[in-house]
Order: sequence, then structure tokens, then C-alpha cells
Amino acid sequence: MATELSALPVRAESNTLRTFEEKLRHHLDERLQVRTRFAPLGATRALLVSPADRDRAKGLVIDDRATAAERVYVYVHVAAHIALGHNIPLVTIVESEDAEGADEMKHDLAERLARSMWWRGADAEIAASLPAVLTSRVLRSLLAWRGTRALTRWALMGIRALAYRTGIVRALERSAATAWLGEALCVAAVVSAAPQLASGGRGGGR
Amino acid sequence: MRIQDTERVSRAVQTLRGTRSLDGLVDRLFDITEGSLALDRATLHRIARGQTRVARAIDTPQDCIRLYFALMIVGCEEDVPVETVVEEGHAILAGFVGDPLAALVFRDLSATLPKLRDRSALKAYLEEGLRIWLPS
Repeated sequence: MATELSALPVRAESNTLRTFEEKLRHHLDERLQVRTRFAPLGATRALLVSPADRDRAKGLVIDDRATAAERVYVYVHVAAHIALGHNIPLVTIVESEDAEGADEMKHDLAERLARSMWWRGADAEIAASLPAVLTSRVLRSLLAWRGTRALTRWALMGIRALAYRTGIVRALERSAATAWLGEALCVAAVVSAAPQLASGGRGGGR
Repeated sequence: MRIQDTERVSRAVQTLRGTRSLDGLVDRLFDITEGSLALDRATLHRIARGQTRVARAIDTPQDCIRLYFALMIVGCEEDVPVETVVEEGHAILAGFVGDPLAALVFRDLSATLPKLRDRSALKAYLEEGLRIWLPS
């Protein structure tokens, strides 16, 4: 059977990002009845299997090579599919690179809604579990294009490294500034892994 | 439930079990379905040998569908080619529950399969399919 998260390969990923991913996964489970598992899926990124009985939990299988940032994107995208009513009983949604025909249209719609949900523009179930920093227009503009995105991420990581090295993080522990920095880094990591979430249009200026 | 084409179902089971003995197959089926399969060992043997028209202990279509998913998972584990797993799985389901319900379940697989390009993705899909048909 598919593995639990603890069996996934350990990567050098930020704890804040992993915590955020876990929080979102639990939110999906509790509010949308989506049980997530991890398994090797080859060329497929994820599968959402919907049972015949709507009262039963849906099953989401994600490729076990996906990073925490990629998993966060899949959760938001799946929440968008569910909000659009694509989870018809006994119909499986397959997330892969080469969707065609009706599938492509469904995925495009979900992509657009996911982008809106991500930047907290849609009043969706998942919005409450997303970082508050997503309402920042400045951050959104900085992450819209590949060049500024890379630069922003680099700058945020630099600030974090400096804050740790100088001991500022310890002094400002639990302050709004450190929370903002952590959240901004998470958001930058997710948008870098899934540029389609960037607000600069399709592909997010890839 | 009345098995509609005992010979075809038997052939499908024989193909999907690969190199496993009948007892080994039954053990694995009970294991995969977490003991939820309301089917005794002797009946499974008779189904596999094509010697029964009525699977006495299979009372519900849900049990048939669980058995269908479990047999296909065994096929994947035994390195049976993906196309054969699907073809034989369809034959089993149609044999157990009849074509209308089999077509309903199989429509999803037919639409989904071309998107699952390798055995690991097919197996993950079948495992999830089985999970949602297991008793809660």
C-alpha cells in the first residue's frame, strides 16, 4: 500500500514549509475529506480517487518524489477541483503533464481557481489555512515573474541567514517580523515549485 | 451472486495470479483486502478452477468489486503486463456483477488507464480504488 509521510525520503526542506504542508494536508482531510497517501507514480504527479458514496473520504495519492512545496501546490489545486465539483463519484482525476481535451479544460479551470484561492482572492474553504502573508500585494508582484521571483527568494533566504547568524531570530522569536519572513519564504518556495500559481498569467512568467 | 462466465473468470484468475499457487493467491487476497473479503478459501479455489456457477459467500457487489481490485493488484505484483491486467480485470468484474455495473466501474478505469503510463501508477490507483471500497 502507499506510504505515510514519515516513509518519504528526508530532504533538506525548511521546517516552516513542512509544517505548513502538514497543516494544509490535515485541513484537506478534516474539511474536504481527502485522505492523502504517497506512492511511486512514475510520470504521474497525483491521483484523486472519488468513491461512489459521497459520505466516504476521497483518496489522494501523490508521487513520493514530490517536494513539500510541490505537495502544497497539489493540495491547493485539488481543493480547486473539489470546489468546481470535478470530484464526481467513481471518476479519477489524474494530475500529469499532458492533459488533453476535456481534461485539459478541467485542469485549466482548476488552475485558475487555485491561483485565486492561493492569493486569497476566492472565498474558498482552504483560504483560512493559508499564510496571512498571501494578502501582501508587494510579495505577490515580486513573485509574479521568474527573475524577480528568484531574486526575492534569494533575498529572503539571505535575510533569514543573517538573522540567524546575528542572533536576531532568537531576540525576535515569535514576533510578527520573523513570522512574516517564515511565511514569505514558504510562499516563495511554493510559487517557485509551481510557477502557475504566480499572478503574472499562465505559466507565471516562466 | 451468480458467476456469468465461469470459464472466462477462471482464465482471468489464472492469468493474474502469475506464478503464485492457488493457496498463495488466496492468502494474498485476504491480506490485500484486510480480511474484509466475505469469501471462504474453498469457494475461491472453485472460482479459480471454474468449478462453480454460484459464489455462495459473495453476497454483495461491493465484495465482488473488492475481489476485482485485489486480483488486479496481484496481477501488478506478478509483473503481468499492464494491458493484460486491465483486460483480465474487466473479464472478472463482468463475470461477477454483469456488464452494466462492470461498465460503470470500468468506465473510470478505461478513461484513467491511458493516463497511467506505468505499473506503479496503475497499482497505486488500484490500491486507492480498493481502499474506498473497503468497509469503513
